[in-house]
Amino acid sequence: MTILQPLLVGFAFGWVLQKGKLGRYETIVNVFRFTDLAVLKFLLSALAVAMLGIQSLTALGLIDAVPVAQTFLLGNLIGGLLTGVGMAWVGFCPGTVAAGAGEGRLDYLIAGGLGLYTGAVLFGLTYPSIYPQVATIANLGSVSLMQLFHVDGWLVVMLFWEMTLLLFYAIERGTFRPRTRPLHV
Amino acid sequence: MRAWSKLLSAKEWSPYIAGAGLGIVTTIALGPCHKRLSGAGAYQDLSGYVGRALAPKSIYWRYVMPTGFTWEVYLFLGTFAGALVSSLMGGQFKIRTMPDAQWSSVFGPSPARRWMLVFAGTMLLEYAAGIGGGCTASLAVSGGAALAPGAFVFMAGMFGAGIPVARGLYRRKG
Repeated sequence: MTILQPLLVGFAFGWVLQKGKLGRYETIVNVFRFTDLAVLKFLLSALAVAMLGIQSLTALGLIDAVPVAQTFLLGNLIGGLLTGVGMAWVGFCPGTVAAGAGEGRLDYLIAGGLGLYTGAVLFGLTYPSIYPQVATIANLGSVSLMQLFHVDGWLVVMLFWEMTLLLFYAIERGTFRPRTRPLHV
Repeated sequence: MRAWSKLLSAKEWSPYIAGAGLGIVTTIALGPCHKRLSGAGAYQDLSGYVGRALAPKSIYWRYVMPTGFTWEVYLFLGTFAGALVSSLMGGQFKIRTMPDAQWSSVFGPSPARRWMLVFAGTMLLEYAAGIGGGCTASLAVSGGAALAPGAFVFMAGMFGAGIPVARGLYRRKG
């Protein structure tokens, strides 16, 4: 394994997180209050571009099949729910801890780093009694929507682009204008 | 050249631009590198250093999560460095112990309280990434980009729980 590759990819990852203001408590929490939709715009833009990028590079034969995250519906849902609680409560997700720490935030670097590490150890300790049970329920494995529903990749990607652009248009037109409320400093 | 330096030293980017940038990073990670982006993964891969001392016979650190300085660990270090350089170039770097805005109106001005809640909250987030099969980066973004159904279930859960929690916390604060 070359060390340079993950360092460079990580560098770019941290860069866009910082420029997108994802390393801030208020950016993360306000998407759930509908007062600042930056996280939603950031997330959907990333998904749309990456879907198109992967689909195009695969079609051109420039890359092999990409790694597909495991789907086990109950676990994915529980993980998502707990992640939502954590994000809305303290204002980050694991990746943005690194980004916030890079901006000079000691609460991210020290308290966040220790918390993430403790969480990882706790997960390991409780793994045998919890994870296999959860992960076997509705486990579809490493499968994509295309394989699951036997549809063409371009169709899914174009549909996602259409829905995303429509939503962005509605947001910018003010249909879903964030409520303007004074920020509490 | 001047336009580039202006872009790189900007205080912030539009979330659309920054998000598109993340899309390119995700494409590079999944395609040529054949790896998912990750935030939580680094901690899982390092957890064995303490975990194996606490539970020497655990099957987790023996078979499921071999411990070491993996791709994800270097990715995490790179993430830190990227944010550091970006914030230095944009004039945003500043040593702080508390969020810049809003937090105090809900949780009070005490840094000790912030740090305790951050510790508890990040513990929950890392555990959630374990049980959910990924975090926002490795499941929602990297899984979603590869059109894994689990990624969209994860995101539904994220907003499904995040919205009521945030609203509850801010109910009396306007």
